[in-house]
Amino acid sequence: MSATAATFERLATVERSPGYWSGVIRRLRRDPVAMVALAIIIGLVLMALFSPWIAPADPYRSSMLRRLRPIGTPGFPLGTDELGRDMLSRLIYGARLSLLMGVTPVFIAFFVGSFLGITAGYVGGKVNTVVMRTVDVFFAFPSVLLAIALSGALGAGIFNGLLSLSIVFIPPIARIAESVTTAVRKIDYVEAARASGASSMTIIRVHVLGNVLGPIFVYATGLISVSLILASGLSFLGLGVKPPEPEWGLMLNTLRNAIYVQPWVAALPGLMIFITSISFNLLSDGLRSAMDIKA
Amino acid sequence: MLLYIAKRVLYTLPVALGVSIVCFMLVHIAPGDPLTSVLPPDASAQLQAEMRRLYGFDRPLPVQYGLWLLKTLQGDLGTSIATGRAVAVELWSAMGNTLMLAVLATAIGFVLGCLFGFVAGYFRDSWIDKLASFVSIIGVSVPHYWLGMVLVIIFSVQLNWLPATGAGPGGSADWVWDWAHIRHLILPAVTMSVIPMGIVARTVRALVADILSQEFIVGQRAKGLLDLGVLRHVIKNAAPTALAVMGLQLGYLLGGSILIETVFSWPGTGFLLGQAIFQRDLPLLQGTILVLAMFFVALNLIVDVVQTLLDPRVQRS
Amino acid sequence: MKHVRMAAAMAAALVSASPALAQGTLRIGMTASDIPLTTGQPDQGGEGQRFMGLTVYDALVHWDLTRADKPSTLIPGLAASWSVDATDKTKWTFKIREGVKFHDGSTLTASAVVWNLDKLLKQDAPQFDQRQASQGRSRIPAIATYRAVDDLTLEIITRAPDATLPYQLAWIGISSPAQWEKLGKNWQEFAKTPSGTGPWKLAAVTPRERAELVPNKDYWDKPRIPKLDKMILIPLPEPNARVAALRSGQVDWIEAPAPDAVASLKAANMQIITNAYPHNWTWHFSRAEGSVWNDVRVRQAANLAVDREGLKELLGGLMIPAEGFMPPGHQWFGNPKFKLKRDLAQAKKLLAEAGYGPSKPFQTKILISPSGSGQMQPLPMNEFIQQNLAEAGMKIDFEVVEWNTLINIWRAGAKHESSRGATGMNYSYFIQDPFTGFIRHLQCNLQPPAGTNWGHYCDPEMDKMFDEVRNTFDAEAQTKVLQRVHEKYVDEALFLMVTHDVNARALSPKVKGFVQAQNWFQDFGTITMAP
Repeated sequence: MSATAATFERLATVERSPGYWSGVIRRLRRDPVAMVALAIIIGLVLMALFSPWIAPADPYRSSMLRRLRPIGTPGFPLGTDELGRDMLSRLIYGARLSLLMGVTPVFIAFFVGSFLGITAGYVGGKVNTVVMRTVDVFFAFPSVLLAIALSGALGAGIFNGLLSLSIVFIPPIARIAESVTTAVRKIDYVEAARASGASSMTIIRVHVLGNVLGPIFVYATGLISVSLILASGLSFLGLGVKPPEPEWGLMLNTLRNAIYVQPWVAALPGLMIFITSISFNLLSDGLRSAMDIKA
Repeated sequence: MLLYIAKRVLYTLPVALGVSIVCFMLVHIAPGDPLTSVLPPDASAQLQAEMRRLYGFDRPLPVQYGLWLLKTLQGDLGTSIATGRAVAVELWSAMGNTLMLAVLATAIGFVLGCLFGFVAGYFRDSWIDKLASFVSIIGVSVPHYWLGMVLVIIFSVQLNWLPATGAGPGGSADWVWDWAHIRHLILPAVTMSVIPMGIVARTVRALVADILSQEFIVGQRAKGLLDLGVLRHVIKNAAPTALAVMGLQLGYLLGGSILIETVFSWPGTGFLLGQAIFQRDLPLLQGTILVLAMFFVALNLIVDVVQTLLDPRVQRS
Repeated sequence: MKHVRMAAAMAAALVSASPALAQGTLRIGMTASDIPLTTGQPDQGGEGQRFMGLTVYDALVHWDLTRADKPSTLIPGLAASWSVDATDKTKWTFKIREGVKFHDGSTLTASAVVWNLDKLLKQDAPQFDQRQASQGRSRIPAIATYRAVDDLTLEIITRAPDATLPYQLAWIGISSPAQWEKLGKNWQEFAKTPSGTGPWKLAAVTPRERAELVPNKDYWDKPRIPKLDKMILIPLPEPNARVAALRSGQVDWIEAPAPDAVASLKAANMQIITNAYPHNWTWHFSRAEGSVWNDVRVRQAANLAVDREGLKELLGGLMIPAEGFMPPGHQWFGNPKFKLKRDLAQAKKLLAEAGYGPSKPFQTKILISPSGSGQMQPLPMNEFIQQNLAEAGMKIDFEVVEWNTLINIWRAGAKHESSRGATGMNYSYFIQDPFTGFIRHLQCNLQPPAGTNWGHYCDPEMDKMFDEVRNTFDAEAQTKVLQRVHEKYVDEALFLMVTHDVNARALSPKVKGFVQAQNWFQDFGTITMAP
C-alpha cells in the first residue's frame, strides 16, 4: 500500500509544465498494449450502448427445442443457453448490466472518496482524524468480504449490489486522495498561495484539484477491473442481478449446471468478464506509466 | 522499536472495535425487524420475548452493541437460525478447512510469484520480462471463479483426472493427507493461488528492478561480480516486503474464499457464508464476517510487526 | 464425537471381518444443503424424512415400500394394530408392538409415545423441542388429546372425526426418552448420538458434510434389517456437484440428477431410475387480501399460459405434465371442466377481462428456491414459466431463498413478514393421502400458524367437503367426495398446476437390489453393493 501511495504522491507533486497532459497522451498513444486495451473498452461500451441494433436475436426469447446448442450452430454462432436463448445476443446485452455494475461503483467511490480524502487532507486536524479512522475501519475488511457482508445483509438486487460495491471502493480512494492532498499541500507554490491570502476555495480549485484528481483518477481506473470481477461475483452468488436479466456473472451462475453438456458455452460469460477486466488493467497500467515521468 | 510495536498494537484496538461495530450493524441494516432476522419465522411468542430480552432488542442501539460485544468476547457468537447450532461451533471446523486451502494457495502463489517476479525484474525490459509481466497481469485480471470453472471443465469434465467438488471421501472431518483427499485440494488451491501469484510477481519485479538499479549493484555487475553475491543481496532486501505482501494476501484469500469455495463446494468459511446468505441466516453471516475480519486485522498487525523486526527501516504508518 | 466415530469404525471393521455379511458401503448425494435434523423429526422436507426420519426412527404407522408396481399403502409400524371406536369416531386405540427396543437398549412403551407427542405438542413439557415441533406439529393437526392406557395401549382423541389420522401419524418419528434423559435432557447432545427404534443407527455426523448410518442388527422387523455395512449421507445441493460426485466415484447414488446430465450419466453406465410417485410441483397462490390471484380469471390465465410440453423438453422428458392437482389417471382425479393446456389467446382474453392491459400491467412477486427435496430443477423451470407468463402479459419477479428458508416461510404464511410481500411460492407437494393431498393446503382453520394453508384460503364450501372427507370412513364413498374436491381444485385453478416429478435418481452400476417404491420414502435395507 505504502508503495502505491508513494507512486501517486509522486504523480501529484510532479511539476506540471504546460505540455504535461499532451505529453501524457502522446506517450499513451505510443503504447500499443494500452491502445489495444482502449480499443477493446470502446468496443465494449459501444456494444452496450447499441445492443438492440447489434444483437442478432432477442436475448430473452427462450425455446426448449434448441437448448444448449454448441458453439458454431447455424443461426446461433455462440450456441444457446439452458433455456435456448441465443448466447451471442445475451453476451452483447450482458455488457450493459455488467459494465454498469462494474464501473458505476468506482465512479461513485471516485467522487465520494475524493471528496472525503481531499477534505481530510486539506483541512487536517480533527476532521482528518475522524474521516480517516472511519475509512481505516472499512479498509480493515478484505474487499470481497466487505462486499459480500453488505449485500448479503441488504439482500439481492442491482441497487443493493451497487451500494455495497461503492462502499467497498470509497476507503482505498479516500486514502490515496488524503495522502496525495497532504503531499500537495506541502509543495512550495501551494504554501505560497496560502501565504499570499488566496481563499481556500481558490487554492483547492486551482492547485489541489488540478494536481490531485489526475492521479486519483488513474488509481480509480485500476480499481475498475477489481470492481467488475466483484460485481459479477456477487451476481454469480445470486446476490446482484436477478434472472432473467442478461449479466455475465449471473449467466455464468446459471450455466454452471451445463458444464457436462456444453462446457465451452458455459464458460463464455466468464471469458467476457476476463477480457473486460484485463483491458481495464492494461489501460490503467499504460496510463500510469505515461504519467510517471521521472524528471 | 518496541515503542513502535506497542504503538502499532494500540492503533489496532480502535480499528478492531470499529470492525466489530460494522459487523454488529449488519443485522440492523438488513431489511425488516432485527428480531425476525435472527429467529425462525415460526418461533413461538414466548421464544420471541425471550430473545428480545436476551439480545436487548428493546434497548437503545449502543446498549445493544455493548451487550452483543460482551457476549462475543466470551466466545458466544449466537445461534444459527437454520441449524440451531452455535455459530462458533459451525465456524470452528469451517475455519480449519479454509485455512488449509488458503495457506496452500498462498504458498503456491508465493513461490510462482517470486519466480516470475524475479525473472522479470532481473531481465528487465527483455521479452522474458514482458512475458512474466503478462502472466502476472492475467493473475490479477482473471475472475477466479471462472478460472475454477474452466479448470473443472478441463481436468474433471474432459480429462477426468481430478474431482470437481468436495473435500474427499471422508469429508473434512476425516481428512488425512493421502492422495484420495489431496486430489480434492489441487484444483481449488491452484485456482486460488492465481491472485497472490499476480500480486507477488508484480511486487517482486518492482523490488528486484529497484535494487538492481542501485549504484552499488550496478558497479558489482559491471565488475563481473555477479550472481551469487548479488542474488543474496537482492533476496535480503526484497524478502521483508515480499513476505509482507504474502501475509496480507493470505488474509485476502481467507476473506475472499467464498467464490472459490462455492465453485468447488469446499466446506470452509466461504461456503458457510454462502449458505448463510441463501438461508438469510444473519447470526451465522454476522459471526463469520466478524471472525474473518478480525483475523484479517490481526494478520495485518502481525505482518507489520514481523516486517519491522526483519527490517527496522520499514515502519509503515 | 471422535469417540463415536471410532466406535463406529471398529464396529464396521468387526462386521466386515465376516465376509458373508460384507455388503459394502453406500454413499448417497442428497439435494439438501445440510444433514437433516437427527433428533426424530427431520427438517429438509420429504428428503429429510426419507434419509434421516424413517431410517433411524419408526413411526406408529408405516408405508409399505416393498412394491414398485403400485402405489404404497399403510401398514403397521410401531403400532401393531389400531382401531377407531364404533360409536365415538374421534376415539382411536393403538396397540403398541411388544418387545421393541430403542438403539440405547430401552424398551418402547405407550408412555414413550405419549412422551414423544408431548415433545411436539406440549409447550411446557421439559422435553418440548421447538425445532422438532416446527417440523412435526403441522403433520398431526387432528390430534386433540392422548394418553397411555397401559404399557402397550395408546389412546388418541381427535378434534373431530378424522379418517386421515393414520396417514398423519406416519410422519411422526419416535425418539428414545431414556437416551434424552441420559444425555442430560439436552436435544443438542441427542442430535449427536440419537436413539430411535429404526432399522439404521446413526454412527457419526458432521454437520453440513456427512452422516454415517449403520444397520440396527436387533431391528424388530427381521426382513428389514439392512444388508449394507454402512450408508453415508452427503449433502450436495448443487445438481452439478452431484453429477460430478457420482461420475468421479465419490458417491454411489445421487438424488435428482440434472436432466441435462442424464444422457452423459447413462453413457457412463449409471442406472437412471424413475417411477411415478405422489408429487406435484406448483405455485401456491396467496389468497390474502390484495393478492392478484384472488381473481379466478387471473389464476386460469396463468394456468393456460404455461407451456408444459416445453417444460418436459427442458427436463429431458423426466416429468409428467400436470392435468390437474393430482397426477393424470389418479383415482381422485374426477372430471374437471377446466383443461390445463397452453392457450395464450384465451389467457390474454381472461387477463383483459380481469382488468389488466397496457394501462394496468400485471406484475407480481413469487418466492422460489434454488434447490430442494421435490423441487426438481427450480431455477430453470421457474425462469421458463416466467417467460411463458410474460408472453401472456404477466410480469413475474422472483425472490430466491434457500429451500429450508422457503419451508419456514411456507409455515409462516403469506401474510407473515418473511413472505416479503410475495403473492405466490413455488412449492412441491407430497400428495399421498386426503390430508397431505388436499386438506392441509386449503382448509380455513389450517391457516398459519395453525397449519400450512400458506395462502390463507378460506371457502366454506371447500371446508364442508373436507369435513365430509374426514367423516367418511368408507373408502369408496370417500373417493367420490375427494373427486369433487379435486374438480373444485382444478376448475377454480386454485394453484398453478405445472408438473409431477418422476423421482429420478442415478445409481452407480455397483448398487444392487434397490426397489423404487411409488413413494417419497424408500427402503434402503434391500440394497447391496457389488464389489
